[in-house]
Amino acid sequence: MNDKKKIVLAEDNSTLSLLLKFKLTKEGYDVFVAEDGKKAIEFIEEHNPVLILTDIMMPFVSGLEVISHVRNKLNLQTPIIVFSAAGQEEMVLKAFNLGANDFMAKPFSPNELVIRVKRLIG
Amino acid sequence: MDTSTVNTILLIFHYFFFAYAFAAISSYIILAIISIVETIEYKKKNKFVNYKEILSSDIAPSISIIAPAYNESLNIIENVRSLLSNHYANYDVIIVNDGSKDNSLELLIEAYDLVKVDYLINQQILTQPVREGVFKSKNPAFEKLIVVDKENGGKADALNMGLNISTSKYVACIDVDCLLLEDALQKMIKPFLELTEVKVIATGGVIRIANACIIKSGKLLDVNMPKSMLERAQILEYIRSFLLGRMAWSRLNGLLVISGAFGMFDKKIVIEVGGYDTNTVGEDMEIIVRMRVHMEEQKKKYKVAYIPDPLCWTEAPDNYKTFISQRNRWTRGTIEVLKKHRRIGLNPKYRSLGLVSFPFWFIFERMAPIIEVVGIVYFCILMALRELRWDYAFVFFISAYLFTVLFSIVAILSEENTYHQYKKKGTGYKLIRTILLEPFLFHPFVLYAAIKGNFDYYFNKKIKWGVMTRKGMTKAAESN
Amino acid sequence: MNKFLYFIDSLKEEPLLIQIVWLLSFVLFVIIIISIIYLKFLRTHLRLNDKIAEKYKNEYEANLITYLYSENEEGLISSEQQSIIKQLKNGAINKFKREIIISTLLKLLNEISGEMADSIQNLYYQTALNNYAVAKLKSGNWYFITEGIRELKLFRVKDAHKDVEKHVNHSKSEVRKEVQLYLVNLFSFKGLNFLNDLKTPLSEWDQIQLLEELQKFDDQEIPDITLWLKSENDYVVIFALKLAKIYNQFGMKEILLELLNHESERVRLELIPVLNHLYIVEAKEVLKSNFSERSREEQIEFLKLLENLGDENDEHFILQHIYNNDFEIRLSALKILKNINLSKFENLELTKPEAEFVEMVKFIKNN
Repeated sequence: MNDKKKIVLAEDNSTLSLLLKFKLTKEGYDVFVAEDGKKAIEFIEEHNPVLILTDIMMPFVSGLEVISHVRNKLNLQTPIIVFSAAGQEEMVLKAFNLGANDFMAKPFSPNELVIRVKRLIG
Repeated sequence: MDTSTVNTILLIFHYFFFAYAFAAISSYIILAIISIVETIEYKKKNKFVNYKEILSSDIAPSISIIAPAYNESLNIIENVRSLLSNHYANYDVIIVNDGSKDNSLELLIEAYDLVKVDYLINQQILTQPVREGVFKSKNPAFEKLIVVDKENGGKADALNMGLNISTSKYVACIDVDCLLLEDALQKMIKPFLELTEVKVIATGGVIRIANACIIKSGKLLDVNMPKSMLERAQILEYIRSFLLGRMAWSRLNGLLVISGAFGMFDKKIVIEVGGYDTNTVGEDMEIIVRMRVHMEEQKKKYKVAYIPDPLCWTEAPDNYKTFISQRNRWTRGTIEVLKKHRRIGLNPKYRSLGLVSFPFWFIFERMAPIIEVVGIVYFCILMALRELRWDYAFVFFISAYLFTVLFSIVAILSEENTYHQYKKKGTGYKLIRTILLEPFLFHPFVLYAAIKGNFDYYFNKKIKWGVMTRKGMTKAAESN
Repeated sequence: MNKFLYFIDSLKEEPLLIQIVWLLSFVLFVIIIISIIYLKFLRTHLRLNDKIAEKYKNEYEANLITYLYSENEEGLISSEQQSIIKQLKNGAINKFKREIIISTLLKLLNEISGEMADSIQNLYYQTALNNYAVAKLKSGNWYFITEGIRELKLFRVKDAHKDVEKHVNHSKSEVRKEVQLYLVNLFSFKGLNFLNDLKTPLSEWDQIQLLEELQKFDDQEIPDITLWLKSENDYVVIFALKLAKIYNQFGMKEILLELLNHESERVRLELIPVLNHLYIVEAKEVLKSNFSERSREEQIEFLKLLENLGDENDEHFILQHIYNNDFEIRLSALKILKNINLSKFENLELTKPEAEFVEMVKFIKNN
């Protein structure tokens, strides 16, 4: 059962994370949902996922900090996709500078997200 | 003195107290009604506002959060983290280390990868010089953070340094130990951007008491009612003053004070008036009065706005010693500010500021404790002279008490109908009990502190700042 | 009881004032008792409401997710979906439940796009929720009208636009604001036509919201903004300037240059950064010619423009300002000098050995 690929999803909108979890589980992934950045970091350290999906604007620890923590503190090269609201180009640039692999602007299509996930981790 | 003179004096006293009480009670009733109207309107108007998406926009104007810190090593790391996670795109956080003697600076350098940077400071306001320098983070995730280390000069001086450092259009001045909710900046900036007919010069926020609340990693997780009478009574007092008092004054555009713990300002105007006054302990009230005077003199339409949402949570004193020294300082601050600006009192040139706000503040805030003490003395004299009419005294006392209780209940009802922060079962009972007992168990300390403040102001010139020993928010939360 | 009656009796003997104050105390006492009972009721009510709301929220959230995933291959409505629609439709009759359903749908709709977003919108129609919103537009209370428009905006109900547009000149600014957002949210730049004859102010806050809405559209083909730049309403002009900057309206050069003499300082202050952004160098001579007559803020904005667009022809002008008393003007002027004539800049500090000045020169040199 544990041969499923693990994904950590950090998102504070419960309905959206429920939807994405549902969708990704159906695609055969094991999804851990964190409602804030702090939880996300805990999950990442605990489960060592193959992919991280994170919102930029989150309570307490922002998505940027999650990326920075993964790349600089944990020294992991796990692919990271960030979500951002419209008009946050600057944030997205920062996310890329910190080592994010891909980004999706909200509102985004969940189907498109799945395609991008598959492209990154198969 | 013959009996008729004594009688005349007594009669004058009678009428004076009666008139004062009558005026106080009527003004409180009026304020309560205005504030309820204003609160309903505020809630209605802001229900449709979409804050989160809109002001994550980078077209929004820049804001600097300025937080002076003096020996705050206990919590500074957590607190800065909470300041950095506000939901607003275009802001920075300026921590002014005001000559701390502890290792605050080292902790900050360590936690946020700070390095000293070359920073050209525009000395628009004269302050104590920089000590170690200006620091910024190497880590882009903390790009918003600026730490400046300066020689000690007090809170006002530290805020002035922050004003010199800031390059933003607006500044939010806060106490570093405050917990800001993440939508605080969006909500506070709104009046500046929204009003077109008048110039908004400052916005005041509500301060809520964080004692016994559970705060983890800079986030408010659970709101609780503390156990001690002192803390509970302060909660009640804050709700009364912020939800009933200030809300009404904001409607009347007569706010004279924005809490030093959280307020936002148009930086240009703050600089124009010369920044914070370093010679008073009431610098938060003083700057608002001075900015108002400035706008009145320029004959410009302006407003000091007010946001009633619970955005800023702070720890209140949990022991009588700290409490009394805090209130002592507040009293001295009020006296200093009113004295410094006494020329505007009853001066028609300053319109409602001079004719309404200022006199009200003088009569019902500044003079209230003194009049109360005179009343008590008078009461005792009458008793000693066996002149006291018990039937009068008793019924007046009862009605005054009932009025106080009712006023508190209205404040609580207003809170429940709007923000309903104390959700837990049984809190309602605790609040009612606090309301009933507070006039006997809490009010005497408030009165004592105010009188002591008056005494210290006039007879004890060398008094230093009351040092507020803070337990530290996370620690307080853990021990709960 | 007897004692009480005795008390009342004895009160009759007392002076009028005492009687009045006793009466007052009694009234206060009664009000307090009523308030305490009300407080108790209110708190219990709120607590239960929270619980029930949470329960429904979870239920509707699950419903919604199931609905979205039980779509037929052909895109037709499946029987499972049919039963969810029925369930929600029944729930929507109750105002309390309706609000929870709407907020659940919106919570997801705000964050996603594509087929699923269409699906949610379709669900909104299927459950006939739009009828409630449209009905609100006919209310006499501005609050309900705004609520209705807002909902129609969020669910992108285009066919209500005639009813919504009726309120474009409503006396309450909250309503007007919501109408404007509705129009722009649904019709993109076409929705901006209300600017043509806008008489009321458009606050900075409103402008930011409208611009944010516009940026959500993929189609960034902006209409002709000439009319708005020439508007008599300064707020419209300022808004048009923002559009010119964000959508790089190089074609507006002539009109923009004319605006340098606009009577409103706020317009001019908004204008100069736009000229800077669009590299309109012709503005330089105009601004230089009456530099000293302009406000300090305009001067600073102009120097910022020169930091970007300055060349050797501006050297003479800049040299007049490197010793300016104003910190920001001096700083800008020195930066510009460094850009356009480095050797002159490097020989500067000897001529004016004031501490503050030297410090500034040193800072610019290093940065």
